[in-house]
Amino acid sequence: MADYAALVQPDRVHSAVFTSEDIYKDELEKIFYRYWVYVAHESEIPRPGDYCTKWIGEKQLIVSRAADGSIGIFFNRCRHRGAAVCMDEYGNANFFRCPYHGWTYNSAGDLVGVPYPSRYGEGFDKSTLGLARVPRVDTSAGFIFASMAPDGPPLAEHLGKAAGFLADFVKASPLGTVSLSAGTSKSAFWGNWKFVGMDGYHTNFTHKTVLDLRQRKAGASYNRGAGNSDKSANESWDLGNGHCRLDLTGRDKVAIGAASNTSIAAGIPDNADGHEYMRLMSEAYGDGAHEVIRRSRDVHIHVWPNLQLIGSQVRVIRPLAAGHTEVMSYPAMLDGVPDSINTERIRSFEWFSGVASFGTPDDTEVFERNQIGLRADYIPWLVLARGLTVAPQEDGSTVGNVTDEVPQRAQMKAWLRSMTSPEVS
Amino acid sequence: MKDLELVGDVTDFLLLEAELADASAYDEWLALWDDPCTYWVPCNLDDYDPTKHVSIIYDDRARLEERCFRLTAGGAHSQEPRSKVCRVVGNIRVVNPHGEDDTVEATARTILVELRLGRKSVYAARVHYTLRRTPEGFKLRHKKVLLLDADEPLGNMTFLI
Ligand code: FES
Ligand SMILES: [Fe+2]
Repeated sequence: MADYAALVQPDRVHSAVFTSEDIYKDELEKIFYRYWVYVAHESEIPRPGDYCTKWIGEKQLIVSRAADGSIGIFFNRCRHRGAAVCMDEYGNANFFRCPYHGWTYNSAGDLVGVPYPSRYGEGFDKSTLGLARVPRVDTSAGFIFASMAPDGPPLAEHLGKAAGFLADFVKASPLGTVSLSAGTSKSAFWGNWKFVGMDGYHTNFTHKTVLDLRQRKAGASYNRGAGNSDKSANESWDLGNGHCRLDLTGRDKVAIGAASNTSIAAGIPDNADGHEYMRLMSEAYGDGAHEVIRRSRDVHIHVWPNLQLIGSQVRVIRPLAAGHTEVMSYPAMLDGVPDSINTERIRSFEWFSGVASFGTPDDTEVFERNQIGLRADYIPWLVLARGLTVAPQEDGSTVGNVTDEVPQRAQMKAWLRSMTSPEVS
Repeated sequence: MKDLELVGDVTDFLLLEAELADASAYDEWLALWDDPCTYWVPCNLDDYDPTKHVSIIYDDRARLEERCFRLTAGGAHSQEPRSKVCRVVGNIRVVNPHGEDDTVEATARTILVELRLGRKSVYAARVHYTLRRTPEGFKLRHKKVLLLDADEPLGNMTFLI
């Protein structure tokens, strides 16, 4: 196995971390098949019998809500001779019936039917042949996480300071819940999964046309690119355990409802529905409603390793190979608000995100060029030294200027720990 | 009795639109569109309420102008270099010669090959057009492109579809 500590140093990282197929396979084992990873959202399986199929790395899963309302996550593999028992992305069923020889499982994963059982001997015990279950499943603010390690720190400990941002995100709804009911924007690119991070340094360059479009709209008053420079009050954060975030609020200077310089969240319209939304929020959160909205709009977080919450969207990252990654994005719909508030979230999502939008395709293009560049590894190092001298705060988090490589270093630190630690820690 | 002249006019328009899109002639392409208009590429499903479900593209006139502006302003890395695109528009049928607002509705199939940075991609779509008759000829009121792989993970789709 590669000497990971030599590949990941405090201020630089080796190209092989992004280009080696062996390292990719080891990442699946050490990170994705061990640690807590995001799998699905509760709103995707609201009723008993609801299920959806998802992937962790190369393993397909069935996320199922059993008759008693509990959530189980099963490997999509018949215990007989291994055929996948479920092929739909979403559905509702009391049973999963294997197409090969008809073994049947209920929504709790138990094997409940085997055709012609007389040909099995005495020792054949159906109760030991249920769908294999992912041993640990837990939720935070409606987000369902799974860990394939039977033992290890609980989800709350893994999430640490990130949990507060998950909670903030869903509080844009007066009911405190969101639904991933507006469909999935599905994309893939030819680059490493770890390129999808939190980067406040690239915005003014990669997203040049986004700034052009904002300038076109705002005219002379537009303070072009100011939020994404070394002079900005915006920040980059290492929250611990590989979780990181950008704070693009300029330390609370962005007025509620105003289009922020950098936020890609939808504004609140100054119309009847906007006012009704504000009324519902005040009813739910009292005097703190404005602050609740501001915090939810400005969530811009990466939950290590595979979940991002940005403004009004949920993004899920799945490695397919060292140089191939799938990203599933969902505009999060707010429960209990006027329809047009959610429509505006969808339209704002489509503006920046998705394969034909004005934002993420340029990110993706850069990730693909990264993968090309990293193969020219005559000098193999990537330099992650911006803001290297910022010291951690008392609570363990590190806060730098928005353009600092604080998030990149945070992720590589978590990466190195997972790749080298014998136990899930 | 088919109105062959109408079918011919519609065909001419659809082929012109396809050629301008293939040529990345953003300004001339934009000039074919009506105001208001909708350029819709659904996501996941063929038909749904776009106010409740995300789309790959759901442009009104203002956003369509932004799209063309972005692609001509310089710095749209995902189109630098530009995609080379070659499409065939066929199976053209006038499905409603007298729609609302003096429009004609037509359907077609498109097979589109895109080449960029040495990678070739093939897309197929059913397309629904609504064309408004004006003294200067047709204007494109709605275009809805039902991609065969609307529910698959897609790569860079920033060329004109
Ligand atoms: S493989 Fe499923 S019943 Fe045989
Ligand atoms: Fe970006």
